[in-house]
Amino acid sequence: MENTSQFCHEKGLPFLEARALTKTYQVGTSTVHALRDVDFAAMQGDFIVINGPSGSGKTTFLNLISAIDRPSEGEVLIQGVSTNTLSERQLAQLRKDKIGLIFQTFNLIPVLSAAENAEYPLLLQKIPKAERSKRVRNMLAEVGLGELGRRRPNELSGGQRQRIAIARALITRPKLVLADEPTANLDSETGAQVMDLMRKLNEEHCVVLLVVTHDPAVTKYAQRRIRIHDGRLAEGSQP
Amino acid sequence: MTWWIPLRSLLRNRRRTLLSVAIIALGTAISLFVFGFLEDSRLQIQATTVDEYGNLQIASPALWDDTAEGYEYLIMPETESRIRELLVGRAAITGITSQLQLPGLIAAGNQTQVVRITSQVPENGTLNIDAFVIDGRPLRTSDVAAVLIGRSLANRLGLAVGDVVTLTLTTVDGAYNATPLQIVGIYRFTSEQVELRSLFMPLSFAQRLLNTKGVDRLIVNLGSISATNAEASAIQRLLDNDALSLRVETWDDLSPFYKELAGFFDLLFGFLTLAVFILVFFIILQVLTLAFLERTREIGTLRALGTTRGEVLSQLLMESGWLAIIGSLTGVFVGLAISLGFNALGIEWRPPGTVEASVLSVQIGLMTALPPFGVSVVATLLSAIFPAIQTSRLRVVDALRVE
Repeated sequence: MENTSQFCHEKGLPFLEARALTKTYQVGTSTVHALRDVDFAAMQGDFIVINGPSGSGKTTFLNLISAIDRPSEGEVLIQGVSTNTLSERQLAQLRKDKIGLIFQTFNLIPVLSAAENAEYPLLLQKIPKAERSKRVRNMLAEVGLGELGRRRPNELSGGQRQRIAIARALITRPKLVLADEPTANLDSETGAQVMDLMRKLNEEHCVVLLVVTHDPAVTKYAQRRIRIHDGRLAEGSQP
Repeated sequence: MTWWIPLRSLLRNRRRTLLSVAIIALGTAISLFVFGFLEDSRLQIQATTVDEYGNLQIASPALWDDTAEGYEYLIMPETESRIRELLVGRAAITGITSQLQLPGLIAAGNQTQVVRITSQVPENGTLNIDAFVIDGRPLRTSDVAAVLIGRSLANRLGLAVGDVVTLTLTTVDGAYNATPLQIVGIYRFTSEQVELRSLFMPLSFAQRLLNTKGVDRLIVNLGSISATNAEASAIQRLLDNDALSLRVETWDDLSPFYKELAGFFDLLFGFLTLAVFILVFFIILQVLTLAFLERTREIGTLRALGTTRGEVLSQLLMESGWLAIIGSLTGVFVGLAISLGFNALGIEWRPPGTVEASVLSVQIGLMTALPPFGVSVVATLLSAIFPAIQTSRLRVVDALRVE
C-alpha cells in the first residue's frame, strides 16, 4: 500500500457539498420530486452511509453527487467547483480523475479479465503500460485477488466480482468513492468481507466514502449516517 | 483507446458476429466474382481490339472526321519518313507499320460482297495477322495480287485457298480499276463482321491498284496497353511541334464498340455494387443496432467511469471496423476460391456476333479484389455510424438503469 497520508492532510476541508439540491421528473402530467432542497457536506476521509426506503431518492442523490446526472435545481460542488458549470466532457474528466463508482450489480465489463477491468480507468487516464501493470498488481493484491487477475467476471463469485469493482473504483486513487448497495447481491459473510475491505481502504486512502444501502449491517461501518425520506435528507446519529 | 477491447467486444456474441461476417463476406464474394468476370471479359475484348487496331494510329484529321473528298488524306512518303524519324528511340514503342485501307467490291462467280481492304507491309512484325491464318499461308513481302480473306466470307461465297476473286475499286484519280486476286490464306477472328468484311493484301500492291505512293495511317504498337494515353499525348505534341497536320487516335477511340461495352460493364458493376451496398448496409445496420442496444448498461458503465462520448463512439466504430475488415477479407478469400474453381472448370461460351467460342474466366488480382473489398468496408462502416452515435449519446443515468 502506498503512503496516502498526503490525502488526509486536507481533512477538515469540505471536499463535497450539495446546496439546495433538487431533482424532479416529469411523469405524464405530474411532477415527481425525487430530491427536495438537499444540503449536504462531506469532509476528506468521511465514511458516510445513506439509508432510506426504496424510492426515497438515495440513488438519485448518488447520481447527482457522482456527476452522472444533473440537478433540476441547486448544485453539487466538488472541491469547490460546481458541476453545473462543467460540460459533458469535463464531467467525464471529473468522474475519471476524482470519483470511483461501485455498483450494486458490479457492472464489470464481461469481455475483460478481472485485471483488465481494474486497469480500464488507467487506460482512460493514458497511464503508461508499466505503471498500469504495477498498480493493477498492487490493487488486486490489496483486495485479495492477486491470483485471479486473468479470470473473466463470469468465472468469479459475487464477492470476488465486487472486490474487482472496488479495485476498479480505487485504482485511479480517487478522492471520492460512491457505492450503491455494494452488498445487496452478496451473502452476509461476503458482504462483511467487502465492507471490511472498504473501511480499510477508506482509512488507508483517506477517501470520502459514500455508501447507499438498505443493509443495517453496513451502517455500523460508517462514521456518519444519513437518512433520506421522500427526497429529504436528515442527518442521523452517529452509529 | 486500445484496439483489442473492440475486437473482444465483437467476438463476445459469436453467433451474431458469424452471421454478420457471413453477410458481408457473401456480398463481397459475389461482387468480386462478377467484377472479376466482367473485368476478364473487358480485358479479352481490349486485347482483341488492340490486335485489330494497334495501340495508336496516326492519320489526317480529314480521315478521322470523314471530311475528305477522295483520297486527299493520304500521307505521302516524305511525311511518313518524317513521322518515323520523330518516333525513333521512343522506349514505349515496340513497332510501327503503315497501312492503307480502301473500299472495294469483290466478285466470285455471280456473287458480290462489299469489303474493306486493309493493306500493309507483310511480315511487318507489328500488326500482322499471321497468327490468325487457319488455312493456306500468311501474306509474304514478295506476294503480288494475293489476298487473305476471312473464314465467314469464304463460307458465304464458297471460296477456298487457291481460288481467284475479282476486286473492283476506284483509284485516287477517280478511275475504276478491276483486278483478279488469288486467295493465299483464310484467317479467323473473334468478330464475324471482321471476317465478312475485311480482306488483307500487301501494301505495295494496294498502292499500285490505287495509283498512289501514299498510305492513310501509321500504326504504332506499344509494350503496354496502359501506356497508350500518355504516349498518344506525347506523340501528338511531337507532331504539332513539327507542324504536321496529323492526329493521333487511340485504340479505344477507334473502337466505339469497346467504349460502349466498357460503359455497359461499368453500369452493370455499378448496379451490382449498389445492390451489395444496400444489402450489407441495411442488414448490418439492423444487427449493430441490436448489438449496441443490448450493451446499453455496459456503455452506461463505461461513461460513468469517465469514458467520453467520443471515446465510446470511436470504440463502437472500431468494433464495426473490425467487423468490416474480417467480413470483407473473408469475402475476398471466398470470392477468390470461387473464381479459381470457376476458372478450373474451363466453361466455353460464344458471345453474340463472334465465331469463336471463348473460355469463360474470372480475372483474379489485387485490382479486382480492391473495389468489392472497399465497397463492403464502406457499407459496414456507414451502417455503424447511426447506431454508434445514438448509443454514445445515451444519458449515463438512463443507460445504467437498463437491465
